[in-house]
Amino acid sequence: MRSALPPSFLALVAVLALVRPAPAAAQLPGIAVERRLAGELSLRVGDTLRLGAAPDSMRGVGVVAAIYEPRPDPAQITKQDRYVRMHLPDLARLLGAPDRVDRFGVALRPGIAPDSAAARLDRSAFGYQAYPSAAIASESSQTFLVVSRFHRAIAVITIVASAVFLLCVMLLKVEERRMDAAVMRFVGVRRRTIFGALLLEAAVIAVLGSAVGTALALAAGAATNAYYRRFFHTALTFSLITPGIVGFSVALSLALGLVAGAAAAWRLVRTRPMVLWGRG
Amino acid sequence: MTPTLIARDLRKDYPMNGETVHALRGVSLRVDSGDYAAIVGPSGSGKSTLLQLLGGIDTPTAGAVELSGTRLDALSDRELTRLRLTRLGFVFQRFHLLPVLTARENVELPMAEAGVRGPERRVRARELLDYVGLAQRENHRATQLSGGEMQRVAIARALANRPAVVLADEPTGELDAATGREILDLFLRLNRDGTTLVVVTHDDRLAAEAGRVIHMLDGAIRD
Amino acid sequence: MTGAAWAVKRLARQPLRTGLSLAGIAVAAAMLLDMVMLSGGIDRSFSDLLLGRGYQMRLTPKGTLPFDTEATIRGASAIVAALRREPALEAAGAVLGTSLYARRGDSLITLFAYGLQPEAQSLYQLQAGRDLASGAGAGVLLSEPAARLLGAGIGDTLTLVGRLDPQVVTAAAGRRLVVRGMVRWLYDYRGQPSVGMVLSDLQRLSSSPAEDRASMIVVKARQDSAVPGLVTALRRRFPSVEVSSVADLVATFHERLVYFRQLSYILGSMSLIVTVLLIATLLTIAVGERLGEIATLRAIGVSRRTVVGQVLAEGTALTIVGGGLGIGLGLATARYLDAILTSFPGLPAAFSFFVPRAGALAFAALVLLLTGSLAGLYPAWLAARTPIAATLRAEAT
Repeated sequence: MRSALPPSFLALVAVLALVRPAPAAAQLPGIAVERRLAGELSLRVGDTLRLGAAPDSMRGVGVVAAIYEPRPDPAQITKQDRYVRMHLPDLARLLGAPDRVDRFGVALRPGIAPDSAAARLDRSAFGYQAYPSAAIASESSQTFLVVSRFHRAIAVITIVASAVFLLCVMLLKVEERRMDAAVMRFVGVRRRTIFGALLLEAAVIAVLGSAVGTALALAAGAATNAYYRRFFHTALTFSLITPGIVGFSVALSLALGLVAGAAAAWRLVRTRPMVLWGRG
Repeated sequence: MTPTLIARDLRKDYPMNGETVHALRGVSLRVDSGDYAAIVGPSGSGKSTLLQLLGGIDTPTAGAVELSGTRLDALSDRELTRLRLTRLGFVFQRFHLLPVLTARENVELPMAEAGVRGPERRVRARELLDYVGLAQRENHRATQLSGGEMQRVAIARALANRPAVVLADEPTGELDAATGREILDLFLRLNRDGTTLVVVTHDDRLAAEAGRVIHMLDGAIRD
Repeated sequence: MTGAAWAVKRLARQPLRTGLSLAGIAVAAAMLLDMVMLSGGIDRSFSDLLLGRGYQMRLTPKGTLPFDTEATIRGASAIVAALRREPALEAAGAVLGTSLYARRGDSLITLFAYGLQPEAQSLYQLQAGRDLASGAGAGVLLSEPAARLLGAGIGDTLTLVGRLDPQVVTAAAGRRLVVRGMVRWLYDYRGQPSVGMVLSDLQRLSSSPAEDRASMIVVKARQDSAVPGLVTALRRRFPSVEVSSVADLVATFHERLVYFRQLSYILGSMSLIVTVLLIATLLTIAVGERLGEIATLRAIGVSRRTVVGQVLAEGTALTIVGGGLGIGLGLATARYLDAILTSFPGLPAAFSFFVPRAGALAFAALVLLLTGSLAGLYPAWLAARTPIAATLRAEAT
């Protein structure tokens, strides 16, 4: 399957062979090695490596000049790829492809639109394609837009399930009050008062449920982040519970709770007291 | 006469608000086969508690109940349940029919539980409904019946497994005078046809028609 | 009257609450079914895709997956020839994948090109026209999006060029090829304009033919059971290339899409929890309302087992009806969710995340049925321990 992403900048599928100790490290090209790769191969700064594009062409030699922590990248977390960084001429020499690159970065003078500049470059030559940075960013984020759409769809289904659950529980909670409502009606309490009391009870349950739900969500979010950070060896945030999300959830559950409570309470106060009492 | 039901020095205490309530204070009685006994007394005198102990629904704090020679306190919960199913019939003040079932299905219920096969129990249920005067209402659900009809279905249900004794707790308590009269007539007919009846009641008419009246006061039988 | 019929009658007596419960269970069951389909569907779909033409092994440049990078294997013909001499192998063929350009007037149209050996191809299904044949004048095959983009059909001649040199603004290689047939490429993403030709033609167009490069070599064993042993043997024999069985590739893919699998487990579990809570809540309240009835049943001699059975039967009836509704809902939502996920860039159009399988359906139904039935345990326990005398006394007041 082809990669979902454009070719990585100077991506090298390098096969590394460790040669220790370094014979003449000072004259060798320097290499920056990703921390996880350094850990897996027990590399230290100053170690010497044999390098090549394939196991049968290990012609290059380099010295570990630095060990770096790559920037967290959601596109890379599920891949097992490991990276090293080299100066461009060193890599070109190693690949036997002098003066060859995957990409150029171009900075435009102020006032020039990236779209029109890219179109002009495309018209003027062939063999390459010019993209505005925004287009590349948009293309790169396609994967995450799809994931985001999927999450939204799942969220809609979850909200529907939660709404039905909430309606059901509210209906049952209010129906539990049948006898109380009957007694209140017997002693002359007005329907409106009973309706208000039941609605208040529904609101209290919805608020308390929302508070417990928010606490659960925060705990689940923290657990999710801890688990996936450990699982993927990354500092990325997987679950982000913003005040907006909390506000939306609480407002939704409160609204659903009140609607369900009102519907159930309305049914109850319309029923004759003797029927509520079980004798009608 | 053969004794069917014997109670020996029954005592029942309930804990209530940190104190002990003595619901029964040593009640002994004997009900013979074919008896029609009415237990009467004011509220709180212990008549319903006595009926529950006689029916094996509750266990006495002290004393024993014997049904046709079987001591109830010697039975396991499962055996006691089986005994209630096959040897005792119950009629309650508030009928307690299953509202989702028809009259016939309510009567069939104890027979189904006892393992009587479908065709046989349907025939018997129809016979019993005919006996209590509800043959034409067999397919009506309990909620579609009047109070008197519900109580007659409850009586048919109590007779389903041919019990040794039918125990009834305030069977006319929820009914108007006319409907209560119909139930009293049914009880008389039942007793004439050989059914042993023990009835807890406030109804003076029932007490007057019963062959024997047991007066209770403060958890004891008052002679 | 059977216990099930009794349970159904009880539930029908409270249509609103039963309807709401069924709706809740149906949504939860739909989610559960979707998640079961998702958890197993990814692997199954990928495996089916890779085994579409029966090739169980792939040889790729060291450290890469098929078509995951632009790296190639040098001297592919020699490796293929050596593989074809292996008695345990039925077929082997090299594949090169690279960008190519079609000249149309003054403009160039970018295409993805497959170069393959017609006697051992694993990449397409012929839909119209004739297949490729070895030798000169073999022609070119088009996918439907490529044909649309080029405005070409079977019998038309295309000018394809490669090895563009931006500095001299010219192509180093070009060839006129006749369109032989229309094909469906198994691994193309939706709308991908792809063309296919004999490997040697593409090698000439894309690089120096002397290097004899291929992106991948596909290998078919005579017996599926021999594949693990053959993979080990080929790894020893060709240490400079990556040898993977379909199972290895599925495992790697499995790793990459681990998030969706884990999400499916979490959401599937949540669905079960919602189902349990709904049924347990409903039945607990229903038992609470029916304590008098239960005490009466016990008083007239109905056993605890029957009472427990009745409550469990209600839970089971709710689960069966709600689950049944959920299957239809689940299949519909799976199609919707699949349409979202299969829009991942670079994913083969033939790939599915949600694969409806009888096994998945049966598993989801069984888990739901067990869970739904078990949800009735607590209310059933409450019903079984109802004190007969005390309840009847309370009912009488």
